[in-house]
Order: sequence, then structure tokens, then C-alpha cells
Amino acid sequence: MIYLLLIYEFFKIGLFSFGGGYATIPFLYHISEVYHWYTLNDLTNMVAIASITPGPVGINAATFAGLKTAGILGSALATTSEMLPSFILVIIVSKILKKFSENFFVKSAIETLKPISCALLLFVSAGLLKSHIADIKALILLAVLILISWKSKKDPLFYLVIAGVTGVILKLAGI
Amino acid sequence: MSLFRLFLIFVKIGAILLGGGYVILPIMQSEFAEKRELVSKDELVNYFALAQSLPGIVAANMTMFIGYKLKGKTGALAAMFGVIFVPFWCIVLLASVLNIFVNNTYVTGALWGVGVAVLALILLTVREMWQRSERNLFFYFIFLVSFTALMIFKLTPIQTILIFSVLGVLIKFLQKKKEVNK
Repeated sequence: MIYLLLIYEFFKIGLFSFGGGYATIPFLYHISEVYHWYTLNDLTNMVAIASITPGPVGINAATFAGLKTAGILGSALATTSEMLPSFILVIIVSKILKKFSENFFVKSAIETLKPISCALLLFVSAGLLKSHIADIKALILLAVLILISWKSKKDPLFYLVIAGVTGVILKLAGI
Repeated sequence: MSLFRLFLIFVKIGAILLGGGYVILPIMQSEFAEKRELVSKDELVNYFALAQSLPGIVAANMTMFIGYKLKGKTGALAAMFGVIFVPFWCIVLLASVLNIFVNNTYVTGALWGVGVAVLALILLTVREMWQRSERNLFFYFIFLVSFTALMIFKLTPIQTILIFSVLGVLIKFLQKKKEVNK
């Protein structure tokens, strides 16, 4: 039964997430609230590891979430279910390539999905921030990272490495 | 090119895909345009734009577009399983040893830091999307109503997307009709 639910939930993510790897986090967050397959803390670790291992973050997070939920079969199911909508859509779109991107309804839908994606991601940020809010160090590190990004655009890996190293140093210094 | 060869190329792409799916475009340009001349650079850029405009994981869409273009449906499947091959086993292995290390000072410190960086990256994604969109009244309206729906009315992500994308398309449709009537 849990396998069917996994397929259903991750198929939905593949079909409805829009705007890059982190756009799947709102859905993973929702799953943790509804099914309690993993905790919010697990989710943070999952996304952290998904970000530093090779591969698309959204897919890696699905692999990890599936693994947490139902072992290796769960992770295989979650990963493939999340990619299945892409497979179907890509084949359809490849066949009608030109017409598709010029269609009025498709264009309007894409225009609408942009502000909705922004809202979804901010919603998740608020949720994650809540779990960090008592942690002054985290807030300072976050502010510093944002400030760096303001000065110059860096590779995502840059932030992950800098923050990870900072975390280790702070731990070792006992702060 | 054989199906297995295609699979192997995508295994390699998956293995060097670090720092999120966005780097897939330069990697594919090197693999398919520069090294092999199978797909032109311009074509790859077009596919990338299309991959971004479809739902789902951008890198997965991109992978399947190229797999399908080169070898049809089985090509798309071979590309898909190729690109997730290394990432999949990385996660499975790391996750199974994570519990052993979860109390290790280095690991907890690093995970804490990376967790904060992820939050920063999510906020940067929002900023990026925000800047790349045409911010008109329509944009702000849809943003505000969907944000309110999520925060205050506790709608799920799917409900929010379904309700407000239908609303958005409807608004666009009425706007267009009004323009035509003028």
C-alpha cells in the first residue's frame, strides 16, 4: 500500500513541480506533514545531501525520500515515478514541438506558474526558517550567504561548500 | 550510436552533474555538440528553454528530449536510467552510512551548514525567478493570492497550483478577448 502511495505522490511531484530542483521541496514538505514518512529534520538532511551529491537535486531528494519511506524499492519507485510525467510530456511535446510553445493556453499557463512557484518556494522557506529561527548562528550564516550572492553570482556548489565548512569549523570551535 | 553507448554517455553526464541540474546544459553541449556533433549547440539551447517550460525536473526533461531525439522512446528511457544511475547509488550508499556518522562532529557540522546554504539557495531561486519574470499587475496578483492561500488558508501545493493556474489562464483569456473586441 505504501508503494502505491509513493508512486502516486511522486508522480504528482513530477507533474506539478515547476522551476528547478528546489521546486520539489514544497511537495516533499507537504508529504512529511501528511504522511509522517520522515520528519522536517530528515527533510533538511535529505535536501542537504541531495544538493552535494551528483545529479539533479529534485531527483536525488526523491531517491532519498523514497529510501527513508520504504527502503531501496521505495527509492527506485519514487525516482522513476517522479520522472515518468517528464517522459510522457517530452514525447508528446517532441512530436508537436513548434505548435506547443506558441499555443496561447500553454503560454498563459507558464506565465501563471512563475508567480505561483515563487509563492510556493517562499512558503517553504518560511517553514524551514521557522526550524532555524532560534539559531542565531544559522540566521547570521544565511544573511552572509545572501549578501555574498548580492555582490557576485556564484555556483550553487560554492554556497554549499562554504556553508558546510563553516558548520564544521563552528562545531570544532565549540560555538 | 548504439542504445548502450547512449546510456553510457548519460551515466557520465549524471556522474558529473554537480551543484544541481542547471549545469546540464554546458555538460551536454560539450558531450553532444563539441565531442560528437550529434546535436547542435543552438538546438540544445532551444531544448533547454523548452525543458524549463515543462513541469518536472529540468535536467530530467532535458535528458529525455535528447534521448528521444537520438533514439526514440527507448532512447529516452535509456537516457533517463543512465542519468540517474550514479546519483541513485550515491544517495543509497550515503543514506545507509549516514546513521553511523550522524553523531560525528564533522558530519553534523557540515549538514547544519549545508542545510542553511540550501535555504539560501531556495531564496536565490525565488529571486532569480522573480527577476526573470515580467512583473506586471498580473504577476503580483497571482503571487499574492497563492502565497496567502498557502500561508493562511493552508492549501496544499497541488491545490494552489491547480486553482490559481486555472484562474491565471482565465484572466489571460479574458484580457485577450477584451483586446480583440477593442
